[in-house]
Amino acid sequence: MLGSVDSCVLAGLDVRRVHVEADIARGGDGKFSLVGLAATTVKEARERVRSAIRNSGLEFPNTRLTVNLAPAELRKQGTGLDLPIAIAIALARAHKAPPPGTAFLGELALDGSVRHVHGVLVAARGLRGLGYQRIFVPAEDSAEAALVDGLEVIPCASLLAVVNHLLGTELISAAQPGADVHASVEPTEHDLSEVHGQEEAKRALEVAAAGGHHLLLSGPPGAGKTMLARCLPGILPPLELWEALEVAQVRSLLGELPRDRPLDWARPFRAPHHSVSSAGLIGGGGGLALPGEISRAHQGVLFLDEMAEFQSPVLQALRQPIESGRVTITRSGGSVAYPARFTLVAATNPCPCGWAADAVRACRCTRAAIDTYQRRLSGPLLDRIDLQVAVRRVPLETLASEPCGETSWSVRERVVRARHRQLLRQGTLNAQLKPSRLRQLAGLTPPSRHTLERWSTQRGMTARGFHRAWRVARTAADIDGAEQIEEHHVLEALGFRLQDVAA
Amino acid sequence: MAIVGSRRPSPYGEAVAEQLGLELGRAGVVVVSGLALGIDAAAHRGALNAGGVTVAVMGTGVDVIYPSAHSVLADAILAGGGALVSQFPDGTAPRRHNFPARNFTMAALSDVVIVVEAAEGSGALITAEAALDLHKEVMAVPGSVFSPLSVGTHSLLRDGAGLVQNARDVLAALKVGGEVLDDPLPTPKSLGFGLRRERDGILSHLSDVLALDASEIARKLQLPIAEVLGRLTALELDGAVRRHQGGYVRALRRGKERA
Repeated sequence: MLGSVDSCVLAGLDVRRVHVEADIARGGDGKFSLVGLAATTVKEARERVRSAIRNSGLEFPNTRLTVNLAPAELRKQGTGLDLPIAIAIALARAHKAPPPGTAFLGELALDGSVRHVHGVLVAARGLRGLGYQRIFVPAEDSAEAALVDGLEVIPCASLLAVVNHLLGTELISAAQPGADVHASVEPTEHDLSEVHGQEEAKRALEVAAAGGHHLLLSGPPGAGKTMLARCLPGILPPLELWEALEVAQVRSLLGELPRDRPLDWARPFRAPHHSVSSAGLIGGGGGLALPGEISRAHQGVLFLDEMAEFQSPVLQALRQPIESGRVTITRSGGSVAYPARFTLVAATNPCPCGWAADAVRACRCTRAAIDTYQRRLSGPLLDRIDLQVAVRRVPLETLASEPCGETSWSVRERVVRARHRQLLRQGTLNAQLKPSRLRQLAGLTPPSRHTLERWSTQRGMTARGFHRAWRVARTAADIDGAEQIEEHHVLEALGFRLQDVAA
Repeated sequence: MAIVGSRRPSPYGEAVAEQLGLELGRAGVVVVSGLALGIDAAAHRGALNAGGVTVAVMGTGVDVIYPSAHSVLADAILAGGGALVSQFPDGTAPRRHNFPARNFTMAALSDVVIVVEAAEGSGALITAEAALDLHKEVMAVPGSVFSPLSVGTHSLLRDGAGLVQNARDVLAALKVGGEVLDDPLPTPKSLGFGLRRERDGILSHLSDVLALDASEIARKLQLPIAEVLGRLTALELDGAVRRHQGGYVRALRRGKERA
């Protein structure tokens, strides 16, 4: 007696189809063997499946039982194959053919109920892409799977309910499909209008948001760097549907999607502590790597507070993802790729004690200590940060009298318009423009070019720095709605190059 | 004549030290200082620019230039007929406890010690104290009452140190009758800032001691921040404005960039 169903395993965001076959022999000793390169978590499925079937009041075969997971050369991990194995056995006993275009996913508890598995959204999108029309998933994960268009999602509470559904005795109704596209974005927790003064840094945030530029805030403790960074998601446009799905996929893999409201339209904001390991930041773990902080910050903001305190190899590992917007990690279980297109906001003190650039408090660091500290910051990573701004402490007594300024809402309107201009013109944000396209698309008026070149010679700016300043100037012009980059756009862009001053 | 002060001076202090070094060097006075960063280096540089003789009293062995970035300056001092002197054996590395002794030597070698910008507890104040113990004249340059770098110098002035406004004050104390320029610290205007009219608005709001940030300037002038940033950068390109402590200050010398 043979029964079979389809399921899948995940390799990062890749979905690999798995065909589960169960064969119940006529005789034999009641041994249950599982073949097809199963990892430990999958091998343990035997015990769960056996108990789940028995405790559901179904009969477990007492003759020899063989379950094969095909393709045999693909290593299978995770607990999502419990349910398909049990269903394959049940179908074999019932002599029923597998339902067409259908896949199963879920972990079994010993009492036969179906438990949550990570990555249901990823699996559902992948299976849809492979041509499946129906998917059986754990009931608690059904909202996730229902986000995928054109896929019928059957929520499974227990093994018995699924078997009854398949035998036609009692049908389960499909989950309500579709993402709630009309959900409004809640006002963000941190609004720019709450930041007093700091106009220069706020403007830098606006430019960073508009052009997708990375940003460094340098200043003494208590200057408000963290507060400023937290305002950035609020001035970025809300996520598009495809972006929100990408963000949700990463969270789904990690099992972090909220059950009731799987799709979040707010931009992610991740602020890993400076003790974070390379695996924690970039992604890692045994077998197949899991996404790290940079992938959780995908389509959002990665905030590194006290950047100089991060271990140097950890920071250097950021370089490649910053350039390419994705990260590929190879571990013993194979290679996986995760998206990692984020806006980096780094904050740093000017020296170890933090007060070197403060007008009132004296710095207690030796010159050598400051040099060492700044050297740790410099180098290839800092080179990739377009905007570098000094943040000063606003004295407490003037804090109250400083005007509050614009709300995040009105800044965001300008940001959205500027982004729109860029996408229409070049299909990408300015920060990602290659030098050749920059020359082609971002015309400089003669005075602009002259100013840029003059600064470049005066400050010994590298060719890379030259292009970075050029891109920022293009963004300043886009915020203005200007076709050409005028001299004042270039001047503003150069004002955000603290690194040329500190040198 | 010793000129000492903070290792992290304001642009004002640096300009004063260099100007004094220049005027005194031109008047034939030997300028003594400590080869340190900031005021010391500015004083040596000023004297060298005047073609004068300057002496660096070091806290290390004479063969150990500290900070190492000053090896060019040390060579220039020797080339100008000056000297590098040290009470420590060759090869002595920079040690914290050697510097007060160096400061004492500096005071002993000079007739007058001028302090330009010293915060509370600065090493320059140790030199001043040593000078008093040795019955040498101590003089100080006043600064802004808002600046922490003026605390040390102002307390010296309160305790009876001579007031230095220009090189003539110093030469009078030295009782040397030299030819000195009328106004050793000319106003920025006479330094020839040929500024376009629209930019004067910003420049007149800036100080040469205390850094002001772009936000404050934008608020005072009621201008959009983007415009203020651009105009400040234009002034920076012209050498009229410098970055300092995360803000902007007026530069005192035209077109001269800090190394």
